[in-house]
Amino acid sequence: MSTTVTTGPATAPATGSALAASRKFKAFATTFSIVGPVAYCCCVYFNLPVFTYFPAIGRFAWGVEAVQSGTGPNMLWYGWTLTTILIAGGLGIVAMMLPERVTNKIPLFLVWLVPILSIPYVVYSLMFWWRLAMRE
Amino acid sequence: MTSPISTSAVFWTIWLFVHLILALGLLGALTHQAMAAAFPARRTAGGIVTRFRAVSAPGYATAVCVLYVLVFLVGSFIYTSYRINIRIPLEQGHYFKTGGFFDFKEHVATLGLVLLPAYWYFWKNAQNPEYDNARKGVTLVLAVMVWFLFIVGHVLNNARGFGA
Repeated sequence: MSTTVTTGPATAPATGSALAASRKFKAFATTFSIVGPVAYCCCVYFNLPVFTYFPAIGRFAWGVEAVQSGTGPNMLWYGWTLTTILIAGGLGIVAMMLPERVTNKIPLFLVWLVPILSIPYVVYSLMFWWRLAMRE
Repeated sequence: MTSPISTSAVFWTIWLFVHLILALGLLGALTHQAMAAAFPARRTAGGIVTRFRAVSAPGYATAVCVLYVLVFLVGSFIYTSYRINIRIPLEQGHYFKTGGFFDFKEHVATLGLVLLPAYWYFWKNAQNPEYDNARKGVTLVLAVMVWFLFIVGHVLNNARGFGA
């Protein structure tokens, strides 16, 4: 069913924004959103945070830094997220430089399919929690 | 005199409340839009369900993106306190499923964040039928994600809120 036809103002052109009309931004946005979930899963799997944060002592460290005596727990999620944004953003910029005939071939359904396909891996990556829960 | 612990609990509870209010706005906007995308209304008159679907969906796109980023940033800020004050007691109390679902929530939050550029672009070109299926798909996926984030956050807060 089409979502282009709705009642009222929804049928009018949505915006006068140059960004929204830009084919280059389309290439960036679709590439960013397709690459993003894949990059995030890779960051989690290979443990590739830009930085590690220690909330108990308020300290940042480049890359991965293990917990040491007196540091309290470490947090990698911020670093994974930043790595993901950098990778997806970088590839998005590369996509902007490609000819339109190439970027037009990017299947748009991947934008919603890839995050769905990422979920099983994400659940699997939390296996230590589920194992602990099953022992109870 | 107020103890440092209770002052800290009040501070984080206020931020958690801000997180909740922003999340409610996001949830409302995205649910309206997802309903309008999945079941577009052909007429504005009718029952409450029809009117719920008959919103001008493209107008929500920027608001949804802004709200998502704000909820994400505030949630990220609160997360630092969660890691020390909530997660450790949850582990000590053997609430492993609760802890696991919170980690699941953080992953889903990032997966949703990276969808925003394409989501925004598709809605800002709502008049273009080329993006119909992608727009509907990404909106529904994002709506399901936001509902999941909201429910997990709510349940977690019930399990152990700040100052508990």
